[in-house]
Order: sequence, then C-alpha cells, then structure tokens
Amino acid sequence: MTDTVLEVRNLKVAFPSAGGVIRAVEGIDLVTEKGECVALVGESGCGKSVTALSVMKLLRTPPAVSRIDTHRLDGRDLTRLTDREMERIRGKDMAIIFQDAMTALNPVMTVGKQIDEVYRRHLRLTKKEARKRTVSALKLVGVPEARSRANSYPHELSGGMRQRVLIALAFACMPKLIIADEPTTSLDVTIQAQVLDVLKSMQREHDVSALLITHDLSVVANMANTVYVMYSGKIVERAALKELFAEPLHPYTQGLLASVPRLSDRKQAFVQIPDTVPHPLHKPSGCYFHPRCFRAGDPCRQRMPRLNGLEDGRQVRCFDPLRQERETPS
Amino acid sequence: MSKRRVLLQVARRGGSILTLFKKVWQHPKGRVGLIIAGFLVLVAVLAPVLAPYDPYDVTQRAAKGLRPSWQHPLGTTITTGQDILSMLIYGSRVSLAIGLSAGLALAFLGALMGVMAGYIGGFADNLIMRIVDVLLVIPTLPLIIVLTNLLGRSYVVIVLVFVAFGWTGLARVIRSLVLVLKNSNYVKAAELAGASRWYVMTKHILPGTSHLIIMNTTLTCAGIMVAEAGLSFLGLGDPTAISWGKMLAEAQGGGALLFGAWWWILAPGAGIFLAVFSFMRIGLVMEEIFNPRMKTSSSIHKLFKHLNNTYLDEVFRSMEDDEAAEPAEQPVRVNPFAAGSGHD
Amino acid sequence: MKRSYVIKRILYAVFIFFVVLTLNFFIPRLGVRDPAERYYPPQGGMSDIEYKIIKQYTREQYGFDVSTFQQYIRYLQGLAHLDLGTSLRPGSPKVVDLIGQRLPWTLVLSVTTLIISLIIGLLFGTLAAWRRGRWQDTMLLNASTISIALPSFFIALMLSFYLGFKLELFPAYTNPNMVAQFDWSWKAMQVVLNNAALPIMSMALGGIVGYSQSTRNSVIAVTNEDFVITARAKGLSHTTILYKHVLRNALLPLATSIGMSISGLIGGAIIIERVFNWQGMGTLFLEANSTNDYPLMMGIMLFLSTFAILANLITELFYAILDPRVTVGDRR
Repeated sequence: MTDTVLEVRNLKVAFPSAGGVIRAVEGIDLVTEKGECVALVGESGCGKSVTALSVMKLLRTPPAVSRIDTHRLDGRDLTRLTDREMERIRGKDMAIIFQDAMTALNPVMTVGKQIDEVYRRHLRLTKKEARKRTVSALKLVGVPEARSRANSYPHELSGGMRQRVLIALAFACMPKLIIADEPTTSLDVTIQAQVLDVLKSMQREHDVSALLITHDLSVVANMANTVYVMYSGKIVERAALKELFAEPLHPYTQGLLASVPRLSDRKQAFVQIPDTVPHPLHKPSGCYFHPRCFRAGDPCRQRMPRLNGLEDGRQVRCFDPLRQERETPS
Repeated sequence: MSKRRVLLQVARRGGSILTLFKKVWQHPKGRVGLIIAGFLVLVAVLAPVLAPYDPYDVTQRAAKGLRPSWQHPLGTTITTGQDILSMLIYGSRVSLAIGLSAGLALAFLGALMGVMAGYIGGFADNLIMRIVDVLLVIPTLPLIIVLTNLLGRSYVVIVLVFVAFGWTGLARVIRSLVLVLKNSNYVKAAELAGASRWYVMTKHILPGTSHLIIMNTTLTCAGIMVAEAGLSFLGLGDPTAISWGKMLAEAQGGGALLFGAWWWILAPGAGIFLAVFSFMRIGLVMEEIFNPRMKTSSSIHKLFKHLNNTYLDEVFRSMEDDEAAEPAEQPVRVNPFAAGSGHD
Repeated sequence: MKRSYVIKRILYAVFIFFVVLTLNFFIPRLGVRDPAERYYPPQGGMSDIEYKIIKQYTREQYGFDVSTFQQYIRYLQGLAHLDLGTSLRPGSPKVVDLIGQRLPWTLVLSVTTLIISLIIGLLFGTLAAWRRGRWQDTMLLNASTISIALPSFFIALMLSFYLGFKLELFPAYTNPNMVAQFDWSWKAMQVVLNNAALPIMSMALGGIVGYSQSTRNSVIAVTNEDFVITARAKGLSHTTILYKHVLRNALLPLATSIGMSISGLIGGAIIIERVFNWQGMGTLFLEANSTNDYPLMMGIMLFLSTFAILANLITELFYAILDPRVTVGDRR
C-alpha cells in the first residue's frame, strides 16, 4: 500500500522580463510515493532547479509568477499556505540539498550552529539538546570527529565534507521529502561516489522520499526508482528506471543515454544531440525538441504533442515515439 | 556573482571607447550627465566670449553688493563689485582644468602601477603596495596644505599632489582586475606562445582594464573637483585665479551671510554641484553598463506593476496540453542513436 | 594561527609608522637647500656679517647646527619621549600640549558625527535594501549622487545661512568664548551642543547618505547569496534570517569603511571647522600654516598619521575577529 508523499500537478512558472516572458516550467506533474526516489533529469536550463524551488515554494513573486493546480505534501494542501506557514514546513517536513555547498552555507557561522538552528527552530530544543542531535546527525552522514568538526567553519572543510553537512542539514528532522538539486555535481568523481552512497543509504534506511534533480545519468542509475525526463520546461518522458534505460521512448531520452560514453560501447565516435537547448525566450514552434530531432515530421513542427500515458504506466510526449523501433544489427 | 566574474564582466563588456560613450548617451540618465558636462566644458572654453564682464574688474565701486538684475544676472560681490556671473563662468575653467588634468594623469599613473603590480607581481607588487599603504595613512588635506606652504600656492602643485596621492585607489582596483586577467586563458596562451611581458601587458591586459580605467577616472575627476573646491575654499589655490571654491570663501568672508546675499553663495555652489554631478552620473551609468546586475530591480518592480494580467493568463494557458494534438503515424526511420551504429 | 596574523599586522604597522615618521622628518626640507632658511628672520637693515651671526644663532636655536643624521636621531629621541617638538608661537608651547588642548574639541564634532551617521545610515540602508526598487531605495540613490556633488562645506554655508542667520536656531559662527568658559557645568555643555549643532549637521548629512548606500548595497549583495536561500529552505523565520545570516555578513565590509572613517576622523573636520570657526585641531593646523609654524604643522601631521595607522590596525584586527575566513596570509 503506497502513500503519495508529493503530488504536484500542472506547475507553471514564468519570469516576466524586459525582453519577454521566460517560460521556465510549462505545466509539469510530479508524483512521489513513500520511500521512492524520483529523478528529474535534463540539461541545464530546462527548468529543473526552478521546479525544485517551486516545490519548496521558495520562488519569490517578483521575479517569478507561478500557477499550480495541485500541490500536496503527504496529503496536505500547500497551495494556500502563507509564507509564515510554509516556514514551519520547510526544513521539517520538506528539505532541500543545494548544489554548491560552499555558497550554500553561511561563511561566518560554524556548521554546527547552522544545523543546530534547524533543531531549535522546528523541534524547539535547547542549545545543548540541539548540539547533541547535530553531532549525531553529522556522525550519521559519516563526518569523522563530529563533535569537534561541528565547530568548524564551512571554508575549513573539504568539498565532500561540506556536502555531507548539507545532507545532515536536510535529514535533520527526518522530513517526508528531500529534494536534492545536483547534489554531486560540484564534487570530484571519487567524492561523488562517497556522497552518493551516504545520500542513498540515508534515503533508503529512513524511508524518506526523494526528488533527485540532476543531469548526470550515472547518479540516476544509482539511486532512482522512477525517472522524469524534462526538456525546455516540459516533461517529455516518464518511466521506471530499468525500463527507461533499457528502452527509451522519447528521441531526446535516447540521445541523452547514447551520449554518455561507456566502456562497453562498441561505438567509435562520440554521439551528440545536434545544436543546443532552446533559449527560454525563443522557443521553437510545435514540439520544442523538433529542431534537434532526427524523427521530426510535419506535426512536430506545428503542434506540441500531449504527454500520453501508455498501458504499462509510462508516459511520453511525442508524436512518433521509439516504441516501434528494434535495433538493427549491423 | 563572484567578485572574479564581476571583474571579468567589466573587462569584457562595452566595446570600444566610442561605443561606450554612445551607450552612455542612450541611457537617459547618462544623457543628462553628458549634456551638462559638455555644456560646462563649452562654457570653460568659451569663457572670454561668454562672460559679460571682466571678472577681475574690481574698479566698479558703485556696483558693490548688487542683487541679481538684468545687468548682473547673478549680482555682484559685496566687497569688490565684481560680476558674479562672469566669475562663475571663469571659475569653470579652474575646476574643469584641474579635474580633467589631474584625473587623466592620475588614471595613467594608477593604471600603470596597478598593471605592474598585478602582472609582474613579486617584488614590484610588494613595493608598490607598500607605497600605497604609506600614502593611505597620511592625511591628504593636511599634507596638501603643508606642500602648498612649502612649494608655493599654485594649481600646479595641487594637481601634482592630487596625482601623487590619488593614484593609489585606482592602482588597487586595477591590480585586482589584472590578477584575474592574468589567469585567463587568452593571456596564458599568449605567454606560452612566447610573447614578451611588455607585449602581453600592452596588448592583452591593458585593453581588458580600459573600461575600468575610464569608469574610475570619470568618478575620480568628480572627486577631484570637489577636493579642489575645498582647497580653494581654504585659500590654497593660486591667489590670482578665480575658482568656485575661492568664491565661496570670499562670499563667507565678505559677509554674504550677514547681508543675505545668498546668490553669491548659491552660484559657485551650483557650479560645483553641476560639474561633479554630471561627471558622477556619467561614471555611474558606465558602471551600470558594465555590470548590468547593478540595474536594480526597480525595473523589475516597474515591470510587475504594469504587468498585464490577461497577457500572463494567455501565456499560462498556452502551456496547457492541447487536447487536439494526436500522435500521427510516421514511417520507420533509421536511428543514429541506437547502440551499434558506429559508422556514418 | 590567528596569533601570527596579529603579530604580523602589528609589525607591519610599526614598519609603516617608521616610514611615515621619516617622511615627516624630511618633508619640511623640501623646496629649500638649507632647512633652517624658513626660520631665519628677515635681514632688514642688518649688515651681512651681523646677519650671518643671526643665522648661525637661529640654526643653533632650532637645532640645525648638527648634521642631518644627528637631527634625525634627536627627532627620534624626542618622539620616544612623546615630544613632538616646540611650537614657534609666543611662549613656545609644546606641540603635544597644543594638540591636547584642541583635540577634544575636534573629537566632540567628529565622534558625534560618526555615531549619528552610523546609526541612521545603518537603519536607513537596511530599510532601503528591504524595500529594494521602491521609492525609499530610489530616493537613497538620488540622495547619494547629490550628496557627493554638494561638498560638505557648501552645505555648511547654507545651513549657517538659513538656520544660523535667518532662522537664528543655532549660532552661525562658533562662540569664541566657548572654550575659555567651559567648566563642565550643564550650562556650558548646552552652549557647546548649541554651537556644535550646525557643524555636526553639515558633516553628518554626507555621512548618513554614505553609510546608507554602503549598507544597502552590502545587504542586497548578501541577500542574493545562496546561503540565504538555504536559510529560507530551513524554514527559519524572517527575523532570524535578517539578523543572524544577512546582517552578520553584510556588516563585514562596513567594518572596513568605518575603520577608514575613523582614521580620517580628525583631519576631515578641517574645512568645517574653518567655516564655523570652531577651535579644534583643524583650525589649529590652519593657524600653524598661516604663521609658518613648521614644528606645529609637522607635529600635527605626525599625530594624524599615527592615529590613522592605529585606527587601521585596530580595524584590521577587529575585522579578523569578525570574519573567520581571515587567515595568516595577506588579505589583499
């Protein structure tokens, strides 16, 4: 029996600017079940981070304007909550891990105090009690000598250590949902693996739902249960992890998968999706991907395809998805 | 935005000097600054033509302390009967000449020092920065007073002192920028290709700093003009010249306050204000051009105020999935992305 | 780790002090071959031989009869005893005594101005940052440009005219008996306040605008930083975010500019003191200048420079306490 932890329906975010309206997110749905890790994949500029901030209701109304049909956390309706009311939820029931730990932490405050803050604010603990919890949280994420490390400043810690602090911060009150926005992108590869392990074990052990936002498919393969592929503000495909990797339906998804070089590849050349992501102010007509799509036909140039649900629960937004294709051996 | 990126942005934006001024002209506030500054320069250059009377004429005993009238639009001085408007016009020469000459000389020296300190580094950097530290500690105004005492009260001395002590600010800023530029790829490429230090400095680093120099110089000129007014007010300038600061001193000493001759005080004050204000405007607009993030979100607020709600609704509605769009049948295509197809 | 930073900074300050000290010694010698030249009385009707004797006497009197190096040593020795020289005024008062007499009066103006400017500036700057883009902010921006373009002495003159002469709210010129009649009584203090009002207002206007603008810029810059979003994402209250996260970071660069203001605290009042004829260090210096009282002038210069060095040093150390990122290395 699964419960839905996060339910977002028809989220739209726009940024009015002098040059026009930037259409950052164009009506996406996101659903996360308890204990599930949902990945939101896409290149930079597709609107993933804006989505993350919207889920936390952290976007400010200038400069953003957003509309949403449904926004529920563990059944609770968030749409009408004021900022004050949201303050009680953020950090406690819902938390976010940002990409760059160096800038995400207050440089003049010790990391311990920054974690204490969360406990004192949401659980109303005293200084001492909060510090106890902080130290155990740091231990949990694998920070050695947690008690003394808690008195360090962010710049005194290594990158991986800082990221662990962010993870500890997010998991402090054992929220129902954790959003991880590119949690490993700014780290070295070896550290990435370590941090990812921590994140994964924290999420699995404590049955916390996660919304993982990334462009790195290896991270997705490692952690996610369900994958949403996002392109230029729209969801173009949704599938369970294995099925997505085994049989991508959207040409963009296939392009993404193919462009990751693998040691087992028999290919000789790098594969690229031609051209670049559309400028948010000047999106193409019809399907946003059509200028780069090898399968583009007339309807693709004229109309935006719907996000169609398929019988096996998958979704794809394409007039001509890859289902009919079978690999032709050379 | 990190400091590094801000500095790089300043270095890259703006195009050549001419395009820079064009851009300033296009900006409404910048245009005002350019117009006023241009007007003042014109007044200074054409002073002998424009001034209705000889400003040095102290023989008009009968005309002392006159209120503004048609013959004397700004009245006359209480003590000597000089025409204030003519004095104002001639006064512009001093302010602008000193401001511009000191500013330009200072720009040259400051940029040179900054580039050397930043690029050559090591001993040169150390030496220059120590000199900067010493100069910063010595209070400028008292020092200028001492030097004018020792070396004579002339504007040459004043300009020299401004330059000798004012280059420190620019040097520091330029040095920071040069340190960033030094590590940029095109500089490293030039160095690897064997370019001499001098070549890199003049052809690569210097152009990168040009915008910062111009912007800083404009603001420095404004500051110098204020400082010169202060010095002249204290009586440290050339005793034979007419300057706005000196006019203010004479106004106070001549009893303008006692007799209520506010125009005598207002005129030079307005002169100083216009000169400094126009230069500052130009400098600030340049800064905005280089660093667009400085363009405060007042523009965003205004945008939001006038936002047409129906337009927004339209935008949001257009994001909906169109019910009518149906997947159409398409013939089978070859897929270049499928694994295994390594040849084209 | 911090300790070596402190020691480094102190040593550096001492080094700068010696350089300044030496410069101070040599500056009066600029422009003339014989440094005693400035002290010789005019020849008048004296014969050449008589004049030579007078010159020799003058040299001995002012210590120019020994070599430059020895003069320098004597100078250093004097400084070690906190003796900045003897003024050329009638009665030959010691420079330090004169400074001691006038310094408190300058401090009355400068310190009050600083405190007022800081408090109002910080408040208004934070307000402008909070109301970014709205009228309070735009007003501040315009005020900034205008206030720099209007020199403080001009404002002083206008205030002196309108509030002093016309409306007679405050004295347009400082009461010349104010210093002599001061006896720490409540009445005397009122007189001082009354006379100080216009000078302080003239200086404070520019200061308020300056601090407001810096605070505003700093607060806005900090509010755009990522860690503020993190703080919001943690669900902290607005006040917590403002005080513990935003202001604690935004006020750091302010500490540096406050330090700079302090070092210019004494010398910066020269022009205003002149406008109102306030008997402080500024007017003392100007008097020294007009009477060519070189020992007094250079004594004041050294005093001001030393004060600036100390102020800078204290500011740097204070900043190092506030900002944990400051390490041993050069902070440039």
